[in-house]
Amino acid sequence: MINPAHGGTDDGARADNGLLEKNVVLIFARMLRSEFERQGFRVVMTRNDDSNPSYEDRAAVANAYRDAIFISLHVSSTGQLGATRTYCYQFSSPVAIVSAATAAAAANAPGIAATNPVPASGLLVWEEAQRPYLESSHHVADVLQSALAQKFAGSPATSTRFAVRELRSVAAPAIAVEVSSVSVADSNSLLAIGASLASTVERSIQAMRPPGSLPASLGGTAGAK
Amino acid sequence: MPRNLKITLGILSVAVLIGLISLHGLHQRIEHLSQEQGSEEQERRELLKPSIATSTDAIVNAKIFWAAGADRIAPVEMQLPLSADSAQRGRQVLDALIADAPGDARRTLPADATLLGFYILPDGTAIADFSEALASETPSGILSEEMAVDSIARTLESNVAGARRLKILIHGQEVDSLAGHADLTGFFDLSPAVPAAATPSAAPGGAGGKPPQ
Repeated sequence: MINPAHGGTDDGARADNGLLEKNVVLIFARMLRSEFERQGFRVVMTRNDDSNPSYEDRAAVANAYRDAIFISLHVSSTGQLGATRTYCYQFSSPVAIVSAATAAAAANAPGIAATNPVPASGLLVWEEAQRPYLESSHHVADVLQSALAQKFAGSPATSTRFAVRELRSVAAPAIAVEVSSVSVADSNSLLAIGASLASTVERSIQAMRPPGSLPASLGGTAGAK
Repeated sequence: MPRNLKITLGILSVAVLIGLISLHGLHQRIEHLSQEQGSEEQERRELLKPSIATSTDAIVNAKIFWAAGADRIAPVEMQLPLSADSAQRGRQVLDALIADAPGDARRTLPADATLLGFYILPDGTAIADFSEALASETPSGILSEEMAVDSIARTLESNVAGARRLKILIHGQEVDSLAGHADLTGFFDLSPAVPAAATPSAAPGGAGGKPPQ
């Protein structure tokens, strides 16, 4: 599940050169989708135009699929021109609230497929839907951050826990990736960043698939919403 | 020139002259109103600005957390007169966080943001109520919002005893997010203050990165 942040009347970050985050992340999302689809992943995007679904609508799209990974894309308005850094975030919540079974499953097999922490009742509180998936989100974010740090010099080696609003209600491993910054010299630089980002994200997710498993999905059906 | 045309031109000239005079008056009036609005805004800020001085103030080494590079915050020690009362002390350090930033590059909160209120409930919940500018003028982005929240949380936990968790309000209201990214619907944990020598330099995901509960 790829989530290009913002959209519609919500421009997101705005660069001095007039670039808008909502447009940049949509370009990045399409590049990432192509990369994933080339490798046989099924991809769903929360938006594929200049619309602005609410946080809840985006989460609802993600929560409609099993075994999905939610990747949200952002570009910041701060940062140094010409020095692209990337930051991976996972939602932060008290670890103690994660069930012992979830923690044990994550400890024994920290791969994505090993963690299926939906309670026996099958019901999750919408506002806290991400909580059971914190460990798997953390794993995905760390693996991805490590790979991005090699690609984008100056990026941190480990991911960051933070209360990112859009991740809270996603009942799946969920991360947000922010590229700093939207201020790039020209459109070629932007496309180069997007291409590097897409290939690195795709390779990292591919590497996390348990050996011999079917291709993981980024949603249940091909194509965009 | 026919007489009728002369009369028409005369009337038109008078009308244009009256229009110009009216426009000039209107322009002056608009300028006056905007000046009045500006001074009203300034007066409102002065009124809302927390009182720095309290009867129990003592000069102490306070640690205020500002940006130290593109993606981290770090404490700056400065001597401030701080109250013995925790709520007043919280107001004082957050006011310093906004007003005393050592340059724009180190600022984590918008210069126009104002702390409208600060309270500490008996259970240790610190409530910081900021003006709308905090939400509208914080640069959009996860990192910048994280640094904003982090700087508030770390500054409080380093200087205010008894604060266990933080709730951020905007103009007295709970809001969904700070500027589109940071979830403000919950509480941010505040760790007890640590000895000065052991204070780590803050990085993304520090105290401010602690979660809504």
